[in-house]
Amino acid sequence: MISLYVVLVPLAVALLVTLLRANRPFVQALAVLGGVATFALALFLPGSEPVDAAWLPGLGVSFALDATGAGAVLVLVAALVMIPTLLVAATRVERNAAGFVALLLLAQAGLNGIFLAKDLIVFYVFWEATLIPALLLLGVYGGERRRQATLKYLVYAVAGSFLMLVSILALKGLSGAASFHVTDLMLVTPGLAPSAQTWLFVGMAVGMVVKLPLWPLHSWLVDLNEQNHPSGAADVLGSLYKVGAFGFFAWALPLLPAGALNVAPVLLALAAITAVYGALAAVAQEHLKRFLAYGSLSHMGIIGVGLFGLHLAGLNGAIYFLAAQMVSTSALFLVAGMLWHRRRSFLLRDYGGLAKGAPALAAVSLFLIFAYIGVPGLSNFPGEFMSLLGAFQSSPLPAAFATLAVIAAGVYGVNLYQRLFQGSTTVPTRDLGALELYVLVPFIAGVLWLGVSPAPQLRQIEQQAELTVLQLERAAAADGAVTAALPAAGGAR
Amino acid sequence: MTFPPVLDVDWSALAPAITLLVTAVATLFFALFHKDSRPVAGTALIGVVTAFVFALARFLEPGGQPASFGLRYFGDTWALGFTFVILVGTAVAILVSYDQLRRQDLERPEYYPLMLLSALGAVVMAAAGDLITLVLGLEIMSLPVYVLSAWRTRDRQSEEAGMKYFLLGAFGSAILIYGAALLYGAGGTFVYEGLVAALAGGELTLLATLGGALVLAGLGFKASLAPFHQWAPDVYTGAPTPVVTFMSVVVKAGAFAALLRIGATVFPQLAPWLMTALSVIVAATLIVGNLSALMQRGVKRILAYSAVAHAGYVGLALLAPEHGGVAAAAFYLTAYTVMNAGAFAVLTLMTDANDRGDALERFSGLGRTRPWLAASLTLFLLSLGGIPPLAGFAGKVLVFQAVIDAGYLWLAVLGILTSVVALVYYFRIIAHMYFRESEYEPPRLTSTATNVAIGVALAGTLLLGLFPGLWHDLLGAGQTLLAGL
Repeated sequence: MISLYVVLVPLAVALLVTLLRANRPFVQALAVLGGVATFALALFLPGSEPVDAAWLPGLGVSFALDATGAGAVLVLVAALVMIPTLLVAATRVERNAAGFVALLLLAQAGLNGIFLAKDLIVFYVFWEATLIPALLLLGVYGGERRRQATLKYLVYAVAGSFLMLVSILALKGLSGAASFHVTDLMLVTPGLAPSAQTWLFVGMAVGMVVKLPLWPLHSWLVDLNEQNHPSGAADVLGSLYKVGAFGFFAWALPLLPAGALNVAPVLLALAAITAVYGALAAVAQEHLKRFLAYGSLSHMGIIGVGLFGLHLAGLNGAIYFLAAQMVSTSALFLVAGMLWHRRRSFLLRDYGGLAKGAPALAAVSLFLIFAYIGVPGLSNFPGEFMSLLGAFQSSPLPAAFATLAVIAAGVYGVNLYQRLFQGSTTVPTRDLGALELYVLVPFIAGVLWLGVSPAPQLRQIEQQAELTVLQLERAAAADGAVTAALPAAGGAR
Repeated sequence: MTFPPVLDVDWSALAPAITLLVTAVATLFFALFHKDSRPVAGTALIGVVTAFVFALARFLEPGGQPASFGLRYFGDTWALGFTFVILVGTAVAILVSYDQLRRQDLERPEYYPLMLLSALGAVVMAAAGDLITLVLGLEIMSLPVYVLSAWRTRDRQSEEAGMKYFLLGAFGSAILIYGAALLYGAGGTFVYEGLVAALAGGELTLLATLGGALVLAGLGFKASLAPFHQWAPDVYTGAPTPVVTFMSVVVKAGAFAALLRIGATVFPQLAPWLMTALSVIVAATLIVGNLSALMQRGVKRILAYSAVAHAGYVGLALLAPEHGGVAAAAFYLTAYTVMNAGAFAVLTLMTDANDRGDALERFSGLGRTRPWLAASLTLFLLSLGGIPPLAGFAGKVLVFQAVIDAGYLWLAVLGILTSVVALVYYFRIIAHMYFRESEYEPPRLTSTATNVAIGVALAGTLLLGLFPGLWHDLLGAGQTLLAGL
């Protein structure tokens, strides 16, 4: 039942926060309490009892949640990230902070649903429902050009996910599966003809690539981050809500392995381009949040490379990296919010020399930037390394190209630190305050935790990844068998 | 073949319709002697609720004979399911009218009996098992609505709406009757059951198919399927908003209920080009409805065109009667009734007394000035747009699954693409409410009755979205659409 509670608790707290319309200290307390409660529940997720209740039996949809596999890891890391984020939102949002907190909690409930759903329709329900709080956070609390950014985000996300819905419905219709539950689907969908699988996979992939995101469907992300609330709390949601990779990992790849084998080379190439493009574009940015957005786009490219290499190590690494980037990217967005709080600007040229006035802030930021660019021993390294390693096993050329992004990451990381903290300045800057320290400590802990001891999480991810690889291997074998059998059959006729 | 005797009457199945009739006649007499319309409204509401209770009692009582009058008037799951939808829509419309009519100076007691009579017609259409009953129901439903759309006398737009609706509606009825005559010529009977048996041989298919096509056109007119939809936006704009609330849900439910039964039983016996024609009509409805709505600047007109578009989504399910399409359509109509009636109910609290002033700008900043109203409208719009976990999403999933299973993948893709367009125009309203500052003080209208209506609609939208299985199971338990099949 815990998997149900991690969805319901944030929902309930969101409702409380909205209905009570309390003063700020109360909202702060409630927000942190909700975050901590969800995190505590998430700790007990592995091995908890699955939930399975009839939802729309006429269509074969059941409300099924289960914490086995990668989902529990992502829920846990997201819950860790959400605690300080909720605190920031409750403190730094001037107008209607309660609404902001409620939307964040709603989104967290939706995310947990995405990660734990074991029924494809329920997965889709959470996938789509989470969009609404994300849109409202951007539209209500965003900057000058928020309306354009919201519309762009809406159209990209909805156009992608609606096509995904057609694929999902056609998947059951064509395969004749007994229900939308993953075990029922997994029995029959890999048996679909490869051409049908390819089309269905493409339909799903459109929705997932938008949310991964990969070049060329990424541009909503940059605008979203630029226009989101300057505290950075909404951007944290942005980095948690990049669920496309998880969608591929948990659903599209294992359900449609033959389709995946056909389409993956294209996606792999796109992912490699995304990795390098994001890294290069980051350095060219003048706006701090756009800088971080492109940097994280580069990470998503590497995650894509890990996924579409279709190799066990790469799949494991990709999901581990997905969890790790939640911590490092979110932390830097919140640091960006702290900088904005000091100077009311995101333009990099307004900064420089902060290290003198704010040595502690500079030190923490340097640490987080190191994590961000994948320095060994910190959170992003294991996932990034394994993603590339896995891809090298199956497709060395795109993997080699994507590796350029790792080199470029060193460049943009140093570049970012220099532009923010080094040089000379005459403007005095406050160092870290107590609140900011509280906010950053969980992130530092998370970066170290994920960097130093990846094994337990990787084991959980691998449970699920092995199944995916098995499905892919079977499809590859069947494909070979069919091509081998075809001439024989033709000759017999 | 032999039919059961004509006078086999199942009173429990007829009870909802009789209740509506009695209430309508009684209130009409009352209205002769009293000018106050409030007791009339209250009585009408009680009548609707009583009819609902009768329908519920029949629904929960298993067995019983499926139809009365020699298979001419059904009391099966489908008839009762649509009766629920019609009664809920009517109740919401009465509640919305209660304070609005007074504010708009339109309060005349004959209003409510007319609404009840129209609902009665829709109930009869849902139960119709033969073409004569169908035509009778259609006329009972339509005539009061012609009057109601012109309720704001001395207002050019409202009069134009009534006139336009009447002329085109009469034309639509004539086409339907002509189609019924042709079907009779081909099958020798008006009863669906007899038609199915007579046409199964495959003789006289052309004549019968022409008849079927004309019936489709006549009912398509009431259901506002393109290209027979052109009256809808003008009438919806001109008629008083409470009347539009009624029309856009009840009239549509009646028309679709009739179309579903005849479409799922008689149409499969006809030439296959009829289904092809229907698929083209549905595709056109989806495209025209959604693209036209995208062009509008007034909220009432956006909702008017979106009502056309939703006819297209229900129409999708018509193409798949053998793949759960009937239950899907019934579910979709239920969802559509609550979310659309809810949106119109909110609209009545926003516009001027003459129903003007529905410009998008008027909704700016509503999220801050009237948070509850804005939140309700947001939920209705998101549900109309098909966002989970709201009623509209469950409806869309059911409809799309049915149409995909029936092999119309292209229509499902078209439906999805047009849904993206739909979300853009629905979201435009939401964006005005939340992403902009209010430009001037919004109307501060409140009305307890309308609030109750919004509450009912909201509860329906959330319940059908969060627990779609409850209602769909009841519908899915429904048997075939003909007693003998």
